[in-house]
Amino acid sequence: MTPERWRQINELFHAALERDRSTRDAFLRDAARGDEELLREVRSLLANHVKSGEFLEKPAWGVAAHLILDDPPAGTLVGKRVGSYHVLEEVGRGGMGIVYAAEDERLRRTVALKALTPEYTSDPTRRERLIREARAAAALSHPAIATIFALEEIAGNLYIVSELVRGRTLRDELRDGPLPPAQLQPVLIAIAEALVAAHQRGIVHRDLKPENIIRRDDGQIKVLDFGIARSPVAASPTATKLTQAGAALGTPGYMAPEQFSGTDVDGRTDQFAFGVLAWELATGEHPFGTDAASILAIMTDLMQGKTVGLSRALPLPGLERVVRRCVRAAAAERYPSAEALLAELRALGTVATPARLVAGGDSLWWWQFHQVAVAALNASMPVAMWTIRHWVDSKPYRSTLFLAALTFATVSVTLRLNLFFTSRVHPAMLIEQRTRSFPGIAFADAGLAVLLLAAAALIAGDHDEIAALFLSLAIVALASLSLIEPATTRAAGLKA
Amino acid sequence: MEDDRQSVDSLLPIVYQELRRLAASYLRRERPGQTLQPTALVHEAYLRLMKDKPGRWQNRAHFCAIAAHSMRQILIERARARGAQKRGGARHRVTLDEALVAGGERSIDLVALDEALERLAAFDPEQARLVELRFFGGLTVEETAEAMDISPATVKRHWAVACAWLARELEGGAPA
Repeated sequence: MTPERWRQINELFHAALERDRSTRDAFLRDAARGDEELLREVRSLLANHVKSGEFLEKPAWGVAAHLILDDPPAGTLVGKRVGSYHVLEEVGRGGMGIVYAAEDERLRRTVALKALTPEYTSDPTRRERLIREARAAAALSHPAIATIFALEEIAGNLYIVSELVRGRTLRDELRDGPLPPAQLQPVLIAIAEALVAAHQRGIVHRDLKPENIIRRDDGQIKVLDFGIARSPVAASPTATKLTQAGAALGTPGYMAPEQFSGTDVDGRTDQFAFGVLAWELATGEHPFGTDAASILAIMTDLMQGKTVGLSRALPLPGLERVVRRCVRAAAAERYPSAEALLAELRALGTVATPARLVAGGDSLWWWQFHQVAVAALNASMPVAMWTIRHWVDSKPYRSTLFLAALTFATVSVTLRLNLFFTSRVHPAMLIEQRTRSFPGIAFADAGLAVLLLAAAALIAGDHDEIAALFLSLAIVALASLSLIEPATTRAAGLKA
Repeated sequence: MEDDRQSVDSLLPIVYQELRRLAASYLRRERPGQTLQPTALVHEAYLRLMKDKPGRWQNRAHFCAIAAHSMRQILIERARARGAQKRGGARHRVTLDEALVAGGERSIDLVALDEALERLAAFDPEQARLVELRFFGGLTVEETAEAMDISPATVKRHWAVACAWLARELEGGAPA
């Protein structure tokens, strides 16, 4: 078919479509002027036009929904024998393949057997590299790293044999919300220790994310797939890259910008993922947003060297500083090594004891009691001012005292009760909330104290006993604000 | 363009993720209005890239074309891989009977469609591009018109012929 011929066919096709069906054929015969081939072609296209109807009207992702969603079907190995392994059950499906629990019959122990999908093993150079990396990773031995025992080549397929870890992944735990603040630091330290051990041997994880970390049933944290995890865009040829993106992609939100641009990755790449992970564990939310569009927007920034602004107080004071440094766009601005990161994480614990926030221990109870007590006292101030209004001679003073007391009391009571509520319902946000509302509270409380002093001065002489009461109340209010409040706050671990 | 290629590669995981989400919502039969349409993603990404690095992408049409092309590549790669697995590595045409089961629509042989599109591109690259934008990229008639800088009426005319031609090619009963 030549472009000219096609244009001719197109014109005749549309001209015929405009005709009424009854006159269409006569028109075509006439217009084709004896060109039988042209006539046949247009007629056949017109017939198909009617038949095709909704053809291609549905977008491709609808027509091929199953094709996109189903991972390549792999016959299950459960119950089968692979080399000297007897496959017992399927324990998980990851990007690289299906993971089974299997009995190693030579050593009589239960292991995890990961059957790699052909996408990872069909290309000889990639296969070679994977074998080399698995060998290096097998040398890693650390309590927080799932040990690789062997890489087996059985009947042309590759299997990675590793320690079987049973428990919940951190992704599973995140479905129930953020990690309890008391657990945050120990978990992060365990992961950072695993990074230190691996980076010292020059092994980079490359795909650190909640799916790849398991909390074993006895509480031990285990990082999986060290050194063998494949990030979807790291390989070079475009063709395999596509398939790989299809098979291995979890969430691009954990990848450092240098992974996207395909430049060299090193231990600092893992720090980036660690930063994202730490934020997610602390808040229950991904720092870059939840939908693809916002993650894309942030990644575009990162790839252009712009660092993301993250501002929010985390339940572990100082952690936000660590996270911000980890997720810097430029690797050179992150921590020089995982050791430096680990040292910072360990130091965080000495600043505050966030355990109190969850446990609702005594110190937090005192702080909560203080909030409620002061709120109750402040709420009675406008009432007191209203009661004494007849004793004040000057009319303007009367109204000012009452109205000012009402205003200050409303502000202070609202903010304090709000803090009390936060401490009961969202302890993780308490530090941030308190920092934000304390200036308002201090101003309103000081204002009330000043009003009490003014009222005492105005009614002194006629009602000395009430004036004395007001005077002492004012002193109590100021003392509470400047001494008791900071003390309970510090004791509750809400302030350094 | 090396720079261009790199940007496309970096977009691919996101395009893929979006594709999965769309396919899943399609299967759940969500109303279209409830889902983030891929064009919205494409627009947002494009606006960002334009703002931050003007000149990296020639224009919006260029960007939409690349996003639609990525979707096509991903789908065809998958369809081929599936076919290879089913027939022990031998090349064969994949008929998406799953689509039939799921929704009662016509099944479409994606690999054959891809090949037919290549043939169409040989004598009418514009129509081939249009099909890519609409079918693989999911753009509406109006969006396609905007991306290709032609009128919506022209889009509809081209679409009608291209669909008729492709439908016939896929049935295999084409006259010479």
